[in-house]
Amino acid sequence: MSNNETLYSKRMKLADLIATDNNLLSILHRLNIKLGFGEASVSEICSRYEISTDLFLIICNIYSFHDYVPQIELLHKSDIADITGYLRRSHKYYKEICFPEIHNKIHILVKELDDVNRHLIDKFYDDYDNEVTNHFMFEENTVFPYIDTLLERDGFSDNKFSIVKFEKNHSNIGEKLNDLKNIIIKYIPEEYSSNIRFEILKDIYAVENDLRKHSLIENKLLVPLVEKLEKDYE
Amino acid sequence: MNRQEKLKILLIEPSEIIATGFKEIVGKSHGFEIMNTISTPGYYNTMQSKPDIIVINPTVINYNERFDIRSYFCSNGENISIVALTNAGYEENVMRQYDGCINIYDNTARIIQKLHSAVEEMQQNPKNELNELSTRERDILVAVAKGKTNKEIADEFNISIYTVISHRRNISRKLGINSIPGLTVYAIMNKLVDMSDFN
Repeated sequence: MSNNETLYSKRMKLADLIATDNNLLSILHRLNIKLGFGEASVSEICSRYEISTDLFLIICNIYSFHDYVPQIELLHKSDIADITGYLRRSHKYYKEICFPEIHNKIHILVKELDDVNRHLIDKFYDDYDNEVTNHFMFEENTVFPYIDTLLERDGFSDNKFSIVKFEKNHSNIGEKLNDLKNIIIKYIPEEYSSNIRFEILKDIYAVENDLRKHSLIENKLLVPLVEKLEKDYE
Repeated sequence: MNRQEKLKILLIEPSEIIATGFKEIVGKSHGFEIMNTISTPGYYNTMQSKPDIIVINPTVINYNERFDIRSYFCSNGENISIVALTNAGYEENVMRQYDGCINIYDNTARIIQKLHSAVEEMQQNPKNELNELSTRERDILVAVAKGKTNKEIADEFNISIYTVISHRRNISRKLGINSIPGLTVYAIMNKLVDMSDFN
């Protein structure tokens, strides 16, 4: 989206945000915001669902405007739990909806291939799947609980972990997805069906885009907020 | 290429002063013929006009768009030497795309020499495998697919680690594949290595 569009604001109707960028639907899905909200404004919906309006707007703006720089000062310690909550639900969305869908389609694709290629693509995808699962598991079992303790115990933590370490270890799960895309576009020979490949590519592009926004939320919102929290308690 | 024939040059230079000067100097020396002068690349069809050399002012190209100059002019694998005409210094990764670089302060002899060596370079080292791997790149890809480290590859081919890294970067750029598992898939699919190497 072009950079001279106006960012979203709390007085806008939620329906108008969706009309501007339908990718925002996946955010509503994750935040369990029910459809049928009529003419309600962003701030009305946020207070009904007890979500911070500023946080909601920042997330929507991150999704829609590619050069948007979030105003982190608008967020507080109290928003951290909501961010991790959002990220957890977004993992669930990837794990339960996006990736299984891609996996099913890959399954259809490989059925057509000869033995060697079938084995190759299957293995490549399975390895990727494991990598993603491990990536999410690390965040859910190590990073988020660390943040929870930090919030609960009011800063006391004997954990040697720190959010900067997380940022450093934050592996790039987009790389292999991009490789897979090129293998499907360029290197699986022409004689194999293109229809299923078009479908897979559409899904990969969508999940790639969503993952990019997801990691922006982690790196531009979560990490700086937790870093600040760590400093406050030092 | 028949050396008796004149080498045809397409000049892409927005400055009329420089373009006129270039035509004056190079057009008069035998062996070269300026076939056309345009101010921007636009949609110039190199297929039809078939120049041997394109001399281009790099400023007409927007590098922010990561414009790959060779794929722009030689998308059908034409062997055209591409020479930069400039008075400024460019980063190495920009200049690497060119087969030569003429500075506007170069004298006639130097200019002619640079044009000749750009053409020779192209004849000895055809680049129409733009998106295909060179033999060396293919060998290195096989080694990478087999799981060898950069150090092992450097020792095996007797080249420096930096050269290995640079080859790997070029391989990934050409194929659009960055991860080692992805490169392995490519190598097996194209029968550069055998599945049995992995069991």
